[in-house]
Amino acid sequence: MNAASNRRSATFDGRRSALFDRTALADGLPLFVPAIPFGFVVGVAVVESEMPAVVGWSTSLTIFAGASQLATVTLAGVASVWAVVVAALVINSRHVMYSAAMAPTFRQQPRWFRWLAPFVLIDQVFALVAMRTDRDPTAFRRYYLSLGAFLYVAWAGAVTLGMAIGPAVPTEWRLDVAPAVMFTGLVVVSLERSPAVVAAVVAAVVGLLAAGLPDRLGIVVGASAGVFAGAIAETRRARRAGDVAVDPDPGRGGFTGVGGGG
Amino acid sequence: MTFAVAVAVTLAIALGTYLMRAAPALLLADRELPSVAERALRNVGPAVLAALVVVSIAATGDGEGTGIEVAEVAAVAAAGVVAWWRRNLIWSLVAGMAALWITLAFV
Repeated sequence: MNAASNRRSATFDGRRSALFDRTALADGLPLFVPAIPFGFVVGVAVVESEMPAVVGWSTSLTIFAGASQLATVTLAGVASVWAVVVAALVINSRHVMYSAAMAPTFRQQPRWFRWLAPFVLIDQVFALVAMRTDRDPTAFRRYYLSLGAFLYVAWAGAVTLGMAIGPAVPTEWRLDVAPAVMFTGLVVVSLERSPAVVAAVVAAVVGLLAAGLPDRLGIVVGASAGVFAGAIAETRRARRAGDVAVDPDPGRGGFTGVGGGG
Repeated sequence: MTFAVAVAVTLAIALGTYLMRAAPALLLADRELPSVAERALRNVGPAVLAALVVVSIAATGDGEGTGIEVAEVAAVAAAGVVAWWRRNLIWSLVAGMAALWITLAFV
């Protein structure tokens, strides 16, 4: 991040003239492969959603966040409108951490990049670019935009594929259960630190107790309880470690979304 | 859900998501996120998705009352165990759906 390391990293990035950084493709592909079935599940859910299919599909282009899109299309028409919006936004609120962590790096970039880049600041992008903040600003920008463009197009493709194949799948296969299965995997994979376990368990227990509430309100109630319990667990953990500050690496150990490696 | 409402909902989520991704990067100069906010945000993913799974299984289709289906519980349990064991979302999905189909065939 300092000037010396910027100059050092500039040397191993020879092809400055090329528009697309192919190393971003090589890095992004292993992170995207686990997301393909997820995109497929989203696509199937879009077809089954109460929401018009074209609008459901467009969430890949506008929202561009798998878990949040899946929540949006599965809850649309089932939960109240505001509950859909709140649930989707709360799921994406972890991006605030990514954004804050990127602030010093983005500051070295031109204005247009600082406004454009956050649009594709998803789990996989953060996981990869957070390790490359010491590159010189031009190389970093090219890497970031190449990675973002690849994941954006590939994700829309996976969702479209799911929409195309989904209707051909017999209803007896019960693909309507796939979102819950996918979400379960996402939760369990993210349980690497004890506060995350506390947050998930409390959210599940409170969510179960509140499951009878109308409009899927139990999701918001359970999630709030889980976030609160998780914050308390984080504080206790930090105190035990003898340090008031939480560790400075927000992307690690937390919720890594559709990644699977990182 | 009408077309207009669906568009409004997705645009609201898209705008909110963009703001959450952009605002800290644009506004925080040399400062960091307050530690209270960071602690609250760290476990949002596991908390929301855990609540989402439990409620979507326990609540009935019309959104009111509860009713738990054995096959769905088996699917989610298998997905959870395999995700823990293999740390891999594809195997988790495969195991979850397999458990669902096996349970549906026998129960």
